[in-house]
Amino acid sequence: MSKIKIVQYINQFFAQIGGEEKADIKPELREGVVGPGLAFNQAFGDEAEIVATVICGDSYFGENIEKASAEVIEMVKSVNPDMFIAGPAFNAGRYGVACGTISKAVKDALNIPVLTGMYVENPGADMFKKDIYIVSTKNSAAGMRDAIKKMAPLALKLAKGEPIGASCVEGYMPNGVRVNLFEKECGAARAVKMLVAKLNNKPFETEFPMPDFDRVDPNPAVKDMAHATVALCTSGGIVPHGNPDRIESSSASKYGEYDITGVEDLDAAGWETAHGGYDPVYANEDADRVLPVDVMREFEKAGKIGKLYNKFYTTVGNGTAVLSSKKFAEEYAAKMKADGVDCVIMTST
Amino acid sequence: MKLELGNIIINDIQFTNEGSKVENGVLYVNQEEIKELVLEDSNIDTCEVFIARPGESVRITPVKDVIEPRVKVEGPGGMFPGWIAKVDTVGSGKTNVLKGAAVVTTGKIVGFQEGIIDMSGPGADYTPFSKTYNLVVKMEPVEGLKQHEHEYALRIAGFKVACFLGALGKNLTPDEVETFEFDNLVESARKYPELPRVAYVQMLQSQGLLHDTYVYGVDAKRTLTTIINPLETMDGAIVSGNCVSSCDKNPTYVHQNNRVIRELFKAHGKTLNFMGMIITNENVYLADKERSSNWSAKLAEYLGCDGVIISQEGFGNPDTDLIMNTKKIEAKGIKTVIITDEYAGRDGKSQSLADADASANAVVTGGNANQVIVLPPMETVYGHLHFVDTIAGGSANNIDAHGNITVEIQAITGATNETGFHNLSAR
Amino acid sequence: MEFIVVTNNPLVKEKYENELNVDYADISFRDVLCKVRDMIHKGHRLLTHPLSGSVKPHETPYKSILVSKQATQMDLGEVSIIENSIITADKFAEKFPNMPQSVKEDFQLIDCTLITSGIDAVLRR
Repeated sequence: MSKIKIVQYINQFFAQIGGEEKADIKPELREGVVGPGLAFNQAFGDEAEIVATVICGDSYFGENIEKASAEVIEMVKSVNPDMFIAGPAFNAGRYGVACGTISKAVKDALNIPVLTGMYVENPGADMFKKDIYIVSTKNSAAGMRDAIKKMAPLALKLAKGEPIGASCVEGYMPNGVRVNLFEKECGAARAVKMLVAKLNNKPFETEFPMPDFDRVDPNPAVKDMAHATVALCTSGGIVPHGNPDRIESSSASKYGEYDITGVEDLDAAGWETAHGGYDPVYANEDADRVLPVDVMREFEKAGKIGKLYNKFYTTVGNGTAVLSSKKFAEEYAAKMKADGVDCVIMTST
Repeated sequence: MKLELGNIIINDIQFTNEGSKVENGVLYVNQEEIKELVLEDSNIDTCEVFIARPGESVRITPVKDVIEPRVKVEGPGGMFPGWIAKVDTVGSGKTNVLKGAAVVTTGKIVGFQEGIIDMSGPGADYTPFSKTYNLVVKMEPVEGLKQHEHEYALRIAGFKVACFLGALGKNLTPDEVETFEFDNLVESARKYPELPRVAYVQMLQSQGLLHDTYVYGVDAKRTLTTIINPLETMDGAIVSGNCVSSCDKNPTYVHQNNRVIRELFKAHGKTLNFMGMIITNENVYLADKERSSNWSAKLAEYLGCDGVIISQEGFGNPDTDLIMNTKKIEAKGIKTVIITDEYAGRDGKSQSLADADASANAVVTGGNANQVIVLPPMETVYGHLHFVDTIAGGSANNIDAHGNITVEIQAITGATNETGFHNLSAR
Repeated sequence: MEFIVVTNNPLVKEKYENELNVDYADISFRDVLCKVRDMIHKGHRLLTHPLSGSVKPHETPYKSILVSKQATQMDLGEVSIIENSIITADKFAEKFPNMPQSVKEDFQLIDCTLITSGIDAVLRR
């Protein structure tokens, strides 16, 4: 069997081109290994080989994500590899984000297995650990040997299409996909050890992290609704007809801000939903069902509320990352606050 | 209180035409004696007896119960109080155990029964009972017997056979003796004042037919959460009436050999002070759940606990009891570790539990019960294979031309046990 | 407490319709859960756990749940239980599309004994 062909992505620093002053270099394709690739090739033995290396400056990538991704994908494609490895990035933030971004982009565009590695606190880890396999490394390049020891065997398994074991066995960061494994000790023995650690305030690792509950305490009630400015917001994807800002039907990367001055009713001609996670028929028939502008106008006229804020903010909640949602809300909450909005009704689906 | 478990190590089971006996680690069984015993019950029409040894190409299904043969040698009470023996308190004196042997009962009570034990092949890794020498007792009821009476008949027959076999070890010298001592509350607290005080909270399945557990013969759904001496449990006070959702139901064997209790005894006096055991139930009525979990928390506090281990039994409904117990016990400032299993979907991507809470931050898992496994055909099947083929396995094409059966591991007895009996886990 | 047995189980209907308030409909397992969810939203109280029994959702086609007859105020904890139950049920695929009558009857019996334990608890008998 011929060797598995791998392309590796590294930054200007690991290519020994330079530090921050060289972080703006454009992507470049070199034949063979550069920097850490040598040690990877040794670890692969006869089974695989890094045949080419893409080098890109961290600032260039970070400031030109779409362009840089397209350029790197073209370079990788020209080599026609079986597998793509980015990094490891250790605790270098921009490098980690670049490794995650480009690995996911290569996987999506070329449909080949990808792998990267970084320190658990690298911002790239939280952003991409659910999309791609990310090996957990130490926090500095001194951990290169250790990183290669974990990444090389996992890369081979991925390239060969072998089943991937549980995260704690293979060394990747838990990605939300539950995989069974046989432990050396029975569950009862593990439970007693875990309890003793917990009782002694020593670190322990739960085998099943509870879903992350980001519970928010409600604000105190608005006392005087009759004089309050009320805004409507939604994760139900209500947008003007034709979805002018092209908000994605799932995993939305943006939110929309739309003016409803003088709008009494969200009719089918003017409004629709961009949401891909529920049957859109009823929302498209009458978008007030998701974003009740009609009822709020009635309340406004009846004096039950002061007034309806003249804009609404909207996105698609379907599969959208919590981090993205937080970022959206931080932005538009500030805008509403500046405009004197007293309270917000957020509708979901 | 002190309990001595005398283990007579069993290395094989063989049939004999003479009287049943244990000799040189071999359990010799006269089939006719077993049949005669089982057929004393006029509700059982036929009985067949088989031997299944580790490594053999044998499949047992559907499994009703697994029971360890034992006998009381010295001290009060007897095996399975409330069922076979009278209700005298057990847990002290001497009990002999045919270690390595098990009685496995099989018989169709309802048409969708699961419970597979493969003695070899990939399925064997998933069940703890592929490692025991099993005497398989297959029973068919008289025509027209209702399911409740049928379940009762099989359950009692299993206990009777286990007692019959256990009695063969009564006058033998055990190969090893394990001694367990459990002090009263005051004495325990005085003995290891510097060690954290720990109790075990065991949740018992208690929902209805094929979902019941009995304590000294009492149906657990009719009980208030209470304190039991762990030695009583080790000596047969709790028995199983369960067999659906076989991966995470506790057969009687698991109660007799509860590993949480054993591990707590191992750590007792070293890293913790084992203060006691609380048994609570998993009723369907929400008010019962509130009451039972209130009592678990209250009793854990009463025992002066710094920490508890909570184990679960079953799927869905018990997740709510588990989370209620955890929340309320943690709210008392008592630290918890819980043992559960997961239903994360065949792809492992779904939410694992039907209920969850941030206070459950220390979890041991028995694995994802939805994991799919292919079980190759076995030369011999004891029980009713056609239920695996047509029913418990899943869709119509889950058995291929070569006889391979594709099932989720939830069909395998003990695969994802939630008392930490087995070593399967997930991440 | 006065209560309603919401069910799609003909055996439960037959056994209890002369004695209790039985709301029977020939609908799917999931539809029973959704019906109860809607009732909880309207202020009925959830009395028994929607995922009673270890037979998996969609393995058994039958489900019976007790809710209070009187609608008062929606209980958020109960909303959470019923919603989580629907999410959990959706993880399981239908197992036996062509179920023999005898197996159907076994499933009916199991569901009936589970809900009977709930009924007995409410009636304190």
